[in-house]
Amino acid sequence: MRFRPLQAVVAAGLVVAASMAPAHATPVVSKDATLPVGSELNEELLNQPTELFGFERAGGKRSYLFNLGDMLFSSSSIFGGKAADAGMSCNSCHQQGASNPKLFVPGLSAKPGTFDTTGPLFNAKADNGVFDPVTVPSLRGDKYLAPYGHDGRIASLREFIRNVIVNEFAGAEPSGQVLDALVTYVNEISFLPNEKITSDGHLTDKASDSARRGEALFNKPFPKNASMSCATCHEANAAFVDHKVHDIGTGGYFKTKTLINAKFNAPYFHDGRFDSFDEVVGYFDKHYELGLSASEQSDLVAYLDTIGDADTPFTPNTVQAEVDELSQFASVLDVAIPARDKQVIRLAVDSVGAEWREVGENFPDRKDTSVEGGVAERMRARASVRDLVLTLRQVAMAAEIDDFQEAARLYGEYRKTVAVVTPYLKAAEQYSLFNPRVHEKHFAALRQLADLAK
Amino acid sequence: MPSVSFPSTPSRIKTLAWAAALLSAAALSGTAQAASMKDGVKAYKPFIAENIAKAIAGAKEMQTAVKAGDLKAAQDAWIKSRKGWEVMEPVTGTYFGEFDKSVDPWPNAKSGYHAIEVVLFSAKKTEGLDQPIAEMLANMDKFEKKLNDKKFAFAPQLLLEGTANLAYEVGEEKSGGGESPYAATSIIDMQENVEGIEVAWKLVFADTLKKKDPKLAGIVEERIGNLEKLVGVADIKSMDAKKVHVGGEELAALMLQAAPKLGLKSFKVGDEDEEAAEKAK
Repeated sequence: MRFRPLQAVVAAGLVVAASMAPAHATPVVSKDATLPVGSELNEELLNQPTELFGFERAGGKRSYLFNLGDMLFSSSSIFGGKAADAGMSCNSCHQQGASNPKLFVPGLSAKPGTFDTTGPLFNAKADNGVFDPVTVPSLRGDKYLAPYGHDGRIASLREFIRNVIVNEFAGAEPSGQVLDALVTYVNEISFLPNEKITSDGHLTDKASDSARRGEALFNKPFPKNASMSCATCHEANAAFVDHKVHDIGTGGYFKTKTLINAKFNAPYFHDGRFDSFDEVVGYFDKHYELGLSASEQSDLVAYLDTIGDADTPFTPNTVQAEVDELSQFASVLDVAIPARDKQVIRLAVDSVGAEWREVGENFPDRKDTSVEGGVAERMRARASVRDLVLTLRQVAMAAEIDDFQEAARLYGEYRKTVAVVTPYLKAAEQYSLFNPRVHEKHFAALRQLADLAK
Repeated sequence: MPSVSFPSTPSRIKTLAWAAALLSAAALSGTAQAASMKDGVKAYKPFIAENIAKAIAGAKEMQTAVKAGDLKAAQDAWIKSRKGWEVMEPVTGTYFGEFDKSVDPWPNAKSGYHAIEVVLFSAKKTEGLDQPIAEMLANMDKFEKKLNDKKFAFAPQLLLEGTANLAYEVGEEKSGGGESPYAATSIIDMQENVEGIEVAWKLVFADTLKKKDPKLAGIVEERIGNLEKLVGVADIKSMDAKKVHVGGEELAALMLQAAPKLGLKSFKVGDEDEEAAEKAK
């Protein structure tokens, strides 16, 4: 086949798209690792799911409880057992409040993006003896999506979060403040804007003709049961949910899933059995004997794709984004130190310190053979992170002996240090894993090492 | 969970032997009973000499075993050699960085511990390792030659920074299997790292700090012992990663606090820029 100019343009576009896509990190390779060999947490994302919070859309500001919840959402300190040991947090599965389509833990996952929350690995006490992995849901718009759990078994978000901490991941009983903060945070995770649908779920003039034909089919009564259509359960003006559970022939009653931003929530159905909207539509066509033609199925897929889209689904991760986020996390100390709240001080120091260490790992040291150039910049960035972590640690040490004045002074020093070292971190950014080219080379080298091991 | 009590660990015994040697050296030279940092860094040099010799001896044993196709012997020699290397980590990066990046590189190096590790322990082969081992040995020899130069000397400032940095780094990457994920011997790496911290501290800094701030000196020693207990477990899975992180960070932070009391700088990044800015005014 001749390579025509148009194809060349398309191919070039694909190359760019590929270089911006998250590089595939190597899964766990060591039998000494906390998680089983082959586990994949998909942690090294270059382009992260975009985060949007309700108060931002309303022009508001971050509250103390929100910042605390945001920090705790990324903290392994609220979990126990293997989850804490592996450094896992809520964010490991719900990346930036979205899902994690690559999450895979052998023995707990049937396929990437699924996870058995009642398996033996993370909390033997909660093991139900059944291999019943479910998809990791996106938390966008969660406040509109009660009840919680795939089978809708828990009415309240607060109770659901407690269950995740205590039963799924063997954490200690959380304090009221911890639960309040996490509920505040999750309630603020907003659906992402999509210029192709109106606020009441109808298509705008940005949608394609195929999607419009799909919308009509979506609302059309089923041939064998005129009282039903897709829209019966997926109500357009209610986040495409009806807050009910239904048996649609998949092995029990499961709650109606939202279709907003659902393009990014694969795999689909409670157990993740379908990887695409094509498969989902194919299933409904067969199960409800809809008799859809190939073009009608295609139109329905276009409709789901359109209403499930987002204007900016991903955001590149940068040094500045990390500095901003960790400054927001650490800001809970503004309140916790004067309040002499040792629990929050300890949580903040442990969590923010651990996050800084992860940032530091983005600056490979001089022994990393996959990265060239900028050794001095990278080493300085790593030392900067070390200084931040150690200054924070001293805050906790001072608070532990009730010297809150010293803790406040050290926190002030920490903030000054952030300002001093941010330029160093930025100077090293081009030589770091924040740079897509460096990122790909580094992980290609890790894959090469894993191949050598075979 | 098997744990090793602090007073009976082999590394503790070795450390005490080194401390005793230092005190003898101090007595011979007619210095005060408590060793100065100057005496300490002199005594530290033979400790590093002994351990680079161990690393080299282990690598040579590995070379012989690989030539004989004896996988088990090669693996044992790899572990033996690596112990010598890991206990020197307070100085491998700071004083011998040019060799450190050749002896201990990853992930896709052609030579060095990890390139050899993946073949010996995961692929379970001895083939193709002659050249990587020869290259690693050549770099270790250069390391030894640099160390043995009469002009070469350790300085308290850089040694404190290397020691504190190692305390901060102990336990990193634990969740992924640690520094030696294919050999599954990362717990040994950590134990040797902590011993390296203890030796450097006791030989060089402990006595001086005891004179300046006995309370802080006692806390540092207690935290070193705590860290030694935390890594004194049978395998990395039995180790409490969070406690090791916190323990390592606290120890490094205490060393930072000790620096000015020892007459040293607190080695914060950016200090040199501030100094340069001051001079420019």
